[in-house]
Amino acid sequence: MVTKTEETQLNRLENQVDNGGGGAWEYLCLVKKLKVRRPDKVLRHGLSILNDPKKRSALGPDVWTLYEQVSIAAMDCQCLDVAKDCIKVLQKQFPESKRVGRLEGILLEAKGLWAEAEKAYSSLLEDNPLDPVLHKRRVAIAKAQGNFPTAIEWLNKYLETFMADHDAWRELAEIYVSLQMYKQAAFCYEELILSQPTVPLYHLAYADVLYTLGGVENILLAKKYYASAIDLTGGKNTKALFGICLCSSAIAQLTKGRNKEDKESPELQSLAAAALEKDYKQRAPAKLLLLTSALKSLKTS
Amino acid sequence: MGELKYELSQNAYIKLVLHARKHKTAAVNGVLLGRVSPQNDAVVEIADSVPLFHSHLGLLPNLEISLIMIEEHYSAQGLGIVGYFHANERFDDLELDSIAKNIGNHICRYFPQCAVLLLDNKKLEALPKGKDRSPVMQLYIRDASKNWKLVGSDGGCQLLTKEPAANVVLMDYISSEKWQDVVDFDDHLDDISKDWLNPDLFK
Repeated sequence: MVTKTEETQLNRLENQVDNGGGGAWEYLCLVKKLKVRRPDKVLRHGLSILNDPKKRSALGPDVWTLYEQVSIAAMDCQCLDVAKDCIKVLQKQFPESKRVGRLEGILLEAKGLWAEAEKAYSSLLEDNPLDPVLHKRRVAIAKAQGNFPTAIEWLNKYLETFMADHDAWRELAEIYVSLQMYKQAAFCYEELILSQPTVPLYHLAYADVLYTLGGVENILLAKKYYASAIDLTGGKNTKALFGICLCSSAIAQLTKGRNKEDKESPELQSLAAAALEKDYKQRAPAKLLLLTSALKSLKTS
Repeated sequence: MGELKYELSQNAYIKLVLHARKHKTAAVNGVLLGRVSPQNDAVVEIADSVPLFHSHLGLLPNLEISLIMIEEHYSAQGLGIVGYFHANERFDDLELDSIAKNIGNHICRYFPQCAVLLLDNKKLEALPKGKDRSPVMQLYIRDASKNWKLVGSDGGCQLLTKEPAANVVLMDYISSEKWQDVVDFDDHLDDISKDWLNPDLFK
């Protein structure tokens, strides 16, 4: 999960390195820190350092983590020979290492040798039963084979022990959403909001799930979470603003004919609509007419 | 359902495949815009497409907003939503999942001849090696009992690109990494200055 500022910084650095302006090592460290997936760039720029003996020795002991980072990027790009070479270097430097053993497991995965990869991880887990990466690799194997029930089962088991792993909760939520198991996805986002209440992304995702579940109760609650997402983002989140308009429209539809006192006050919707129109006027004027007509259709539906 | 021919314009076709190529590690989807041919009502002309999302395909709010705006824009050109495109997350997954079917069902309410297209990665991968002119997508149509059925080469319905050399152009764009420039609705909602109409993509 990356903020807009972080993404801009990363892209700027990436452009610089791509165009020969140097800074490859800084770029690789930033990619690692932000945990983003840019395998083709990591592979290209990582190899440019590793294949140059001077640049290699300038890194000192950091060179080994670079070999690890490049081997994983190579596997992501299906350049298995490069990956194998990097792993060989690491094996020579760190014989009997569990961390290198993990890389060997991932290489088996990259080759599609699921059973062998499973075996490798299981045996590593015997000596390291609390290694989170090994557990998550097993979930990845299940997911890669399209075996969602197993992936869900193992991910849930993993989270019983490692309940503070936010990435795992997000992964589980996304699997549930892809299977249209919205109640279960909602539970995951509830856990995330409980442990990290100031991350707007979770409020937004939770609201989206609640809206999708439908029904007046859920949509009323979704509206509250869109509102808190707006609060946490200083009113700048387009999806949350649209969310408010959608909720108001849906609630009006569902409560047609009910007692007027139960109806929601329209201020929040008007404020959201006004904020959207102001933003579109400034940054996407060509789409302003479309927006206005869309908002109108939501109000009258 | 009669013997319908679905004619996919080159730009609509390439846009969808490039979108899928941009987000290699995710499932993506899009909508098809078009109309029944005024000259021949056994032909559905798919004139354009809009790439929709590359995350949380199963959630409604963004989908609803996108469909409202897309329909509004294209109705001025006499075009409506005539189909749906889906690309699965995994390379060899050729199953039409429930999300795709649900969205297809929704579109059928307004356009009963709705086509659902599923990206065939193996076909896409094989393109440079052969001279296949057919689109690298599977066509699904809803039958009388409202089930989505894959249309085989012996089936009555057909999917083809309007321009026969579409695959050549597609391969060209893929090798020049044109897919980096594709903007989908997700991108627009993250930054509204990005245009989901992709007006300059093929210039």
